[in-house]
Amino acid sequence: MIVPMKKAVLVVFREDRETVARALQRCGELMPIPPENYRPEGGPPGAEERIRGAMQAVRPYRPKKSFLAGKPQVKAGELLDSGGEEELLSRVEEASARADAAAAEKETLRAKMEELRPWLRMDIPVEALGGTKQAGIYSGYIDPGAAAAFRREAEENGGAVTELDAGPQGLAVLVYTYRKEEGPLLEKLAALGFSRAAPPGSGLPADTMAAWEKEFAAASAAWEESQKQLEELAREENRLELLSDRADAARQRAEAPFGSTERTVYLEGWVRSDRTDRVKKAMEKAGVCYYLDFSDPAEGEEPPTVTKNNRFISQFETITDMFSRPKKGELDPNPVMGPWYWMIFGLMMGDAGYGLMMLLGIGLFKKLKKPRGDFGKLVNVLFFSSITTVFWGILFGSYFGETWHPLLFAPLDNPMGMLIFCMIIGVLHIFSGMAVKMAADIRAGHFWDAVFDQFSWMLIITGLGLMFLEPARTAGAVMAAAGAVIVLFTAGRAKKGVVGKIVGGFGGLYGITSYMSDILSYSRILALSLATGIVGMVMNLLAGMMQGSVIGFVFSLLVYAGGHVFNLAMGLLSAYVHDSRLQYIEFFNKFYEGGGYAFRPLQIDPRFVEVTGGGENQGGN
Amino acid sequence: MTLGLILAIIGAVLAAVLPGIGSAYGVQIGGQAAAGVVSEKPDLFGKLLVLQALPGTQGIYGFLTAVLVMVRTGLLSGSAVQLTTQQGWAFFAACMPMAIVGLLSAISQGKAAVASIHMTAKQPDSSAKGITMTALVETYAILALLVSVLLILIGIPV
Repeated sequence: MIVPMKKAVLVVFREDRETVARALQRCGELMPIPPENYRPEGGPPGAEERIRGAMQAVRPYRPKKSFLAGKPQVKAGELLDSGGEEELLSRVEEASARADAAAAEKETLRAKMEELRPWLRMDIPVEALGGTKQAGIYSGYIDPGAAAAFRREAEENGGAVTELDAGPQGLAVLVYTYRKEEGPLLEKLAALGFSRAAPPGSGLPADTMAAWEKEFAAASAAWEESQKQLEELAREENRLELLSDRADAARQRAEAPFGSTERTVYLEGWVRSDRTDRVKKAMEKAGVCYYLDFSDPAEGEEPPTVTKNNRFISQFETITDMFSRPKKGELDPNPVMGPWYWMIFGLMMGDAGYGLMMLLGIGLFKKLKKPRGDFGKLVNVLFFSSITTVFWGILFGSYFGETWHPLLFAPLDNPMGMLIFCMIIGVLHIFSGMAVKMAADIRAGHFWDAVFDQFSWMLIITGLGLMFLEPARTAGAVMAAAGAVIVLFTAGRAKKGVVGKIVGGFGGLYGITSYMSDILSYSRILALSLATGIVGMVMNLLAGMMQGSVIGFVFSLLVYAGGHVFNLAMGLLSAYVHDSRLQYIEFFNKFYEGGGYAFRPLQIDPRFVEVTGGGENQGGN
Repeated sequence: MTLGLILAIIGAVLAAVLPGIGSAYGVQIGGQAAAGVVSEKPDLFGKLLVLQALPGTQGIYGFLTAVLVMVRTGLLSGSAVQLTTQQGWAFFAACMPMAIVGLLSAISQGKAAVASIHMTAKQPDSSAKGITMTALVETYAILALLVSVLLILIGIPV
C-alpha cells in the first residue's frame, strides 16, 4: 500500500540551524521541499576536495581488500561529528607532496646525468673550454657515423679532434685549433654537422657526475621514505573514508533548503504520516526552541511516494521502482506484481539444480556482503526466486539439465504442452492486472466502465480459450460472442455522434490484436526454460564425452563446474530481464501508470561505511 | 551419410554460426560504448554489463537450435539417422528462422543497447528502462527460436 504523506513546517531560530539540521539528518524522516527560487549555498569550502585528494594519494598503497569484505561499521553519532581531520589530512598531503618532489628531482637529475654521460672522459674542467690565447678548444656533438670524415677535415685544416662517447644527442667531441686559423676551420666543421655545446655542470665532468649521483641517491632515499609513509597512511584509509562520508553529510546538511527571515529559518518537508512522531521526538531531543506543524497535502501538491508492504513483497518494490513509482491516488501494484514476478522467474529458470545453486550462492553473498538499498532488494528478489526455481524444477523434473521423473511434464519432451501452459499463465497474469483495474474503477464509482472495458475482454479471451476444448466449445463460443457484443456496443461510448460510436466500437474490437500479442509474448517463458535446460544438457554431454580416463575425468569436473555456472549466470540475466519486461509491458499496461517520485529524506547516506546504531531510520525506507 | 543428413548438418551449422556472428557484433559495439562510459564513470560498470550482455542471447539460441538438430538426427549419440533428402531440406528450413532472425536481431539489439548505454551514462537511474527497451528487440529472436524449436522437435517426422 501507499503510505499517506504529511507536509511538515518547521521554524527555528537562525542560530539553531545546524543543530536542527543534525537532528533531522539523524532522524532521517523528513524530505525537505526547496522553497521557490531556492539556491543551495554550498558546504564548507575545500574540505571535501582535500579529503578526496588525500584518498586518491593513498589509493595505490592501500592493502588489498577482499571482494567480499563488508564495510566498516560506525555509529550514526560518529558520522555527524566534525573536526579531527586536520592532522591526518596534512600528514597525507605532506607525504604525497614529498613523494612528488622527490620523484620530480629524481627525474631532473636523471635527465642531467644522461646529458653529462658522453663527456665523462673529458679530462679538462668545463671552465677551460674556449682555450688560451694561442689555442682554441671547442666542444660539441657530431653525427657518430661521420666521425672519420670529421677528423680528416679537422686535421687537414690544422686542427685536432678528441672523440669522447656517444650520447642521445650525438658523439661528443673536443676540437683543438690554432687560434689564428680557427675561423675557416670552424665553418667547415659546422658544415659537417658540428653543433657546439658545452657539457652541463662545472669542473671536471667526472666530479660533477659523482656529486649528482650522490644527490640522486639522496632523492631516491627521500622517495622511498615517502612511499613508506604513504603505505603507513594507506592503512588509515578507513579513517579517510569516514572523513569523506562525514564531509558529505555536512554538505547535505548545509544544502538543506532552509528559507530564512530576519531572526528565524524555516523548512518545509514531507514526512510519512505514520512517522510524524519521530520527527517531533527528534526536535524535542535537539533541545531548541521550535515550531512544528503537520498538515495534509493541499490540492495540486504531489507528495513523494513511499510504499509499505510486508517483508516479502517489499523486496519486489525495486522492480516496480525501476519502471516508475506509483503516483498520488494510484494503487500500489507491488502486492499483485511481486508474487507473479516470483513465480514467472522460477518458471523461466525451471531447474531444481540451478535453484539450489542460487539458494546457496546468493545466500552466501547476502551473508558476506550484506547488500543494502535497492541493490539489496534486487539480491533478495533473486534469493526468493531460487525457491520457485526449485519448485518448478521439480515439477518439470529438471536437474542441472537432466530430466528425472517430472511430476508435471518435461518441457523438452512436450514443448506444445509447455507452450499452452505458458499462455495460460500469461492469461491469468493479464487477468489479474485487469482485475486490479476493475477494482479501482468500481471503487471510484465507475462500475460500468469495469464491465465494459475489462470484464468484456475477460469474456472474449476465456471464451476463445475454451473453444480449443472439445466439450466446452459451444460455451466458449457463446462467451466470446457475448464479450465481443459488449465491446462492439460500448467501446465507442465516449465518442460523439452515431458514426463515431460505430467506428469506436469496431476500433475497440480491433484491440484483440494487442491482447493476442500480449498473450503470445508469454511464449518467451518456454524459450527461456528450454534454453536453460538444453545448454545445461549440452554441458553434461560435453563433460560426459571426456570421462574416458582419469585425466579426462578431472577435466570433465571442470567442464561441469564452469559450464553450469556460465549457464546459470546467463539464465539469471535472461530471466531477470524478460520477467521484468513481462511485468512492465504486458502486465502494467493493463492498469498501472506510475509517475511518482522517490522519498529522499535528509539522512545520513554514507558511501564507505555502514551505520549500525544511533540513527533512527537509516536506510530503512 | 545421406544427402538429407548433410543438409540437416548445414542447417544446424548455419543456426550456430549466423546468430553467433550477430551476437559477437552486438556485444562488441555494446562493449565499446560501455568501455567509453566506464572510463569516465567506473561505478556504472555493473549496470552497463547487463546492457552489453543482452545481444549475446541470440548466439545461445542459435547454439541451442543446432544442438536440437544434432539430438533429433542422432548425431550426438553416434548413430546418425539416415535422413531422406526431403527430411534434410525440412531440417534445413527449420533452422532458417533462428539463423536469419538471430543474425539480424542481435545486430539491431546491439544498436539499441549502445543507445541505452549512452542513456544510462547520462541518467544512471534509467538503466532499467534502457534494459526494457533493449529487451524488446529480443522478442523476435525468441519467436524465431520457438518456430525453429517446435519444427525441429515435433514438426518433422523422422
